[in-house]
Amino acid sequence: MIRIALTMLRTDRAKCTAMILAVTFSVFLMQNQCAILASLYRMMTAQIDDVTDAPLWVMEPDTRCFEQAKPVKDGTLERVRSRSGVAWAVPLLKIDTMARSDSGLLCTVTVMGVDEASMVGLPSRFRFGQPEAIRPAGTCAVDPGGYAQLFPGEPVHFPRRIRILDESLVLTGMTEASAPFTGFPILHCSRVTALRLNKAENRTATFIIGDFTPGANRAAVCESITAATGLAAMDRAGFGEMALRFYNSQGVPRLFWITIAIGLLTGTAITAQTFSMFVREHTTQLAVCRVIGVTKARIIAMVLCQGLFVLSIGCAFGTGLTAITTHAAASEPFLRGIVLPPQVAAGTCAALAAITITAVTIMARRVALMDPAIVFRS
Amino acid sequence: MNPPAVHCQQIHRHFGDGDTRVHVLRGIDFTAASGQITFLAGPSGCGKTTLISVIAGLLQPSSGAVSLFGRDLASMPPDDAVRLRRKDIGFVFQQYHLIPALSVAENVAVPLLAASMKRRDALEQASAILDKLGLGDRLHQPPARLSGGQQQRVALARALVHQPRLVICDEPTAALDHETGHRVMELLAASAVHPDRAVLVVSHDNRIFHFADAIAHMDDGIITHIDHPNSTAA
Repeated sequence: MIRIALTMLRTDRAKCTAMILAVTFSVFLMQNQCAILASLYRMMTAQIDDVTDAPLWVMEPDTRCFEQAKPVKDGTLERVRSRSGVAWAVPLLKIDTMARSDSGLLCTVTVMGVDEASMVGLPSRFRFGQPEAIRPAGTCAVDPGGYAQLFPGEPVHFPRRIRILDESLVLTGMTEASAPFTGFPILHCSRVTALRLNKAENRTATFIIGDFTPGANRAAVCESITAATGLAAMDRAGFGEMALRFYNSQGVPRLFWITIAIGLLTGTAITAQTFSMFVREHTTQLAVCRVIGVTKARIIAMVLCQGLFVLSIGCAFGTGLTAITTHAAASEPFLRGIVLPPQVAAGTCAALAAITITAVTIMARRVALMDPAIVFRS
Repeated sequence: MNPPAVHCQQIHRHFGDGDTRVHVLRGIDFTAASGQITFLAGPSGCGKTTLISVIAGLLQPSSGAVSLFGRDLASMPPDDAVRLRRKDIGFVFQQYHLIPALSVAENVAVPLLAASMKRRDALEQASAILDKLGLGDRLHQPPARLSGGQQQRVALARALVHQPRLVICDEPTAALDHETGHRVMELLAASAVHPDRAVLVVSHDNRIFHFADAIAHMDDGIITHIDHPNSTAA
């Protein structure tokens, strides 16, 4: 009987196509917006998460996120190192400046100057080259998206030269740095190199990063650092959460949620409406099945299967479309952080499925409870 | 002696309440025997359709008792009533009510598939009966490609494919011209009548009354009289 139900659905091509298109559109819209939002959330904390070897972050109390941080006062490093519960601490200097490629292309870049002795602050992996290659002054590594922005359309090869202000820098390799929220190239170099590029600012560190001694109470250590230095101190997760709170308060995520809700409501409304029309048009046929001796449970199963068929095809098409568009977007340097996380794909399909199946179940129950004697009257 | 296939005793059925209450069946006593074609005849609105709905277990009577093959419908659990309908009753509708999305053979196989028979076996059985009814060359066509008479023959095949003990036909010739209707009735008489099967035909088409072994005339919710047109008794 399930096969009969699916045949009934497939042969009503117009409605079947309309329902599949509605689900496809809804899934595509929701997944697309969810994927962008999830990717933005990931990018908001990307540079914090990339520093995997330093769980402790110390910064100016006004700092709200990685991108909006002002440098800490000189001498802070020693005061942090002297606190009980701090295993070690190193400076990390972040600068936003302008770079010029050898072809003359101008580009805003984020420079990360890491401690040249420990090299703490680098992304955990390099795609090309070695971390040690950026230790000498005047060298740096670039992230994949940054390379594409500085040298558009050119094959990847090293070394290459760029200029920042009046300094010439040699690019020695490529990091696996995550795509940043700003979309700018991320250059990693030693702090010595970064200080030469930091003409507008006298201070030498933006963050103090470090680690807690084993067994130390992280919250207590952070409180003690704050008490001693007047700076904000937190672990990596705490910094990430603070950054997300800040970006959430800016309103942009709310706009995405509105679009996602529109996708969900529009998709389910069109699907439910078309499905309702389809079921209404086939009521007599289903009533004939009831009269012939098909049980109510089976009638409900038939209608549910029709709904599930439409839903699964629409979800597959919608997810495929989103995967294609996000893949295409990821190849653009500025959009390189846009991905479709599997949780987003599954979650949006599940949300749509939950609402659609509820609507279909209500219709199926209505059909099952109809008076089958209508077949004698129509 | 076998019990009658259908036995109705003082069936009342009303719809609505208060001022809108309509008393459709007003004390029906009726019997249909196996091996015979019994007609329910009467003008539109006299309660014929309501009566067959009650007999098929699709409507509960407001009062009175219906028994099919000796089993009281009222005391039957709902699942048993559905099973009885699936196994023992075949239906032919005025508008055929074939499923347009299915082929002719698939339409006929529906009662067997509803009884959970394997698809291949059901289609084989459906093909066999369609062959008998002269539609062996139309098995894979959609019903829409058939004429009205052919569609009614498909509906007849669907009603008979599971060897039911009662066939209920609701105005089987109403949508057909006289000649085609006559042919369908000939086919019904030839293929459906069986010593273990009762055939109940609702019709107000007096041109086919000569096929009946008994005609129960209904008017205003009651059976006014019963004729036996083929009876040799004077």
